Amino acid sequence: MIIVDDVYKRYHTDLGIGKWVLQGVSFTMPQKVNVGLVGRNGAGKSTLLRLIGGIDTPTRGRIERRCRVSWPMGFSGGLQGSLTGRQNARFVCRIYGHEKDIPERLAYIEDFAELGEAFDEPVKTYSSGMKSRLQFGMSLAVDFDVYISDEVTSSGDAAFRKKASGAFRKLADRAGLIMVSHGEGTLKEFCTAGIWLHEGKAHWFDKIQDALKEYRKSI
Amino acid sequence: MRSSGNITWTVWKALFLRETVARLSSGRAAWLWILLEPVAHLAFLSILFETVRQIMLPGIEGALFITTGILGFLIAQNTALRCKDAISANAALLAYRYVHPIDTVLVRAALEAALVVISGLVLLTGLGLLGYNVMPYDVLQVLMAVATLWLAGIGMGLVLSVISELIPELGKVVAMIFRPLYLVSAVMFPVAVVPAAYQDVFLLNPLVHGIELIRAGFFSPYQYHTVPGVSAAYIMGFALVTICLGLALHVRFVHRIVEQ
Repeated sequence: MIIVDDVYKRYHTDLGIGKWVLQGVSFTMPQKVNVGLVGRNGAGKSTLLRLIGGIDTPTRGRIERRCRVSWPMGFSGGLQGSLTGRQNARFVCRIYGHEKDIPERLAYIEDFAELGEAFDEPVKTYSSGMKSRLQFGMSLAVDFDVYISDEVTSSGDAAFRKKASGAFRKLADRAGLIMVSHGEGTLKEFCTAGIWLHEGKAHWFDKIQDALKEYRKSI
Repeated sequence: MRSSGNITWTVWKALFLRETVARLSSGRAAWLWILLEPVAHLAFLSILFETVRQIMLPGIEGALFITTGILGFLIAQNTALRCKDAISANAALLAYRYVHPIDTVLVRAALEAALVVISGLVLLTGLGLLGYNVMPYDVLQVLMAVATLWLAGIGMGLVLSVISELIPELGKVVAMIFRPLYLVSAVMFPVAVVPAAYQDVFLLNPLVHGIELIRAGFFSPYQYHTVPGVSAAYIMGFALVTICLGLALHVRFVHRIVEQ
């Protein structure tokens, strides 16, 4: 269960304090529900995902995670350029408490990401597609109760996209999911509930179709 | 659910391994250079010491005198400067919510201590094999003084790490200050040879106290006289104040750092 309670967020920019991105977002996400997050560009979807994933903290308000929540899959970050893919993967396995079965998890990541010999090269030599494949593999290898996904199914080439959506299908069955996607088909395929972000506020809908309807009305 | 203590411990372990790998595998034979750094200082200063012979210290061997000074200075300087860059070097890993900026700083300090201890032991063993008497007169005092210098390094590193994240220009200026510090930290001469009129100014530098305390412990009181102004309380106080200030800065600005 994830409780988001009256969350406000604004960023410090070079020009001083920015405007409010989120203004009083509140909702409770029950266990094992797949939620699609919709809203216009700049409505704060990625910001909200970063806050739920714990990369960032709210300016005001509180987020309570009563389960293991992943980092936002598909964001750029979380890979240390000077380390190899394998070392990055090992680091993540360690900090998430999977010290004991690192070899099996590494083998899984290596197999999933299909990086070949590049798995032992520094990440700074990777293309963006290779990075996102590695990250996707890493998030699948760690056990989470809720996965957060920011447009993750749209990365990589056609073959990888197919594999990713297959893996995603399995994920959606075993764990909760919060996802952002601009493809309505993807949202309808994976999500049951929906959140519509509009003017800094979040509106919860038990059916993703209703969230999409509101979102279409607003544009 | 894992406890927060358990999470922090696994993060420290993972960061320590990550830092060690990076440190020992950057460039060709990086581990060799870590050992050679104090040796190079020692060789250079020994030549100066032996040829110029400005400073006569009866009963004390120049190589040991310089070794104690170099090791004391390096543990404080390397800890401070490596910790200063700890956050920016691990910026990508801060994306995981278990990893806090302060973890990267503390882990680097631990690694730096391990490296200086290893290279110090290698250096002293080498000098011992060459026939020098490398057994300290008062082992406990030497260890205390080295630990205090390390704590002072951590304190400076904690403060500098936040400053150089928030105001990068200031971080660079502070790093520049460290270079001349080498010359005025009593690495290559004892404080006792400084003219009495300038000793008070000299003793404002906390590193001088730490380095003089190492020597006062390493050599017997019949061999080595330090000046009355040298005080363990001064450098310990400095370490305590900078550590508290650094921790406070980390608590205050952790969100600002992670946001970047």
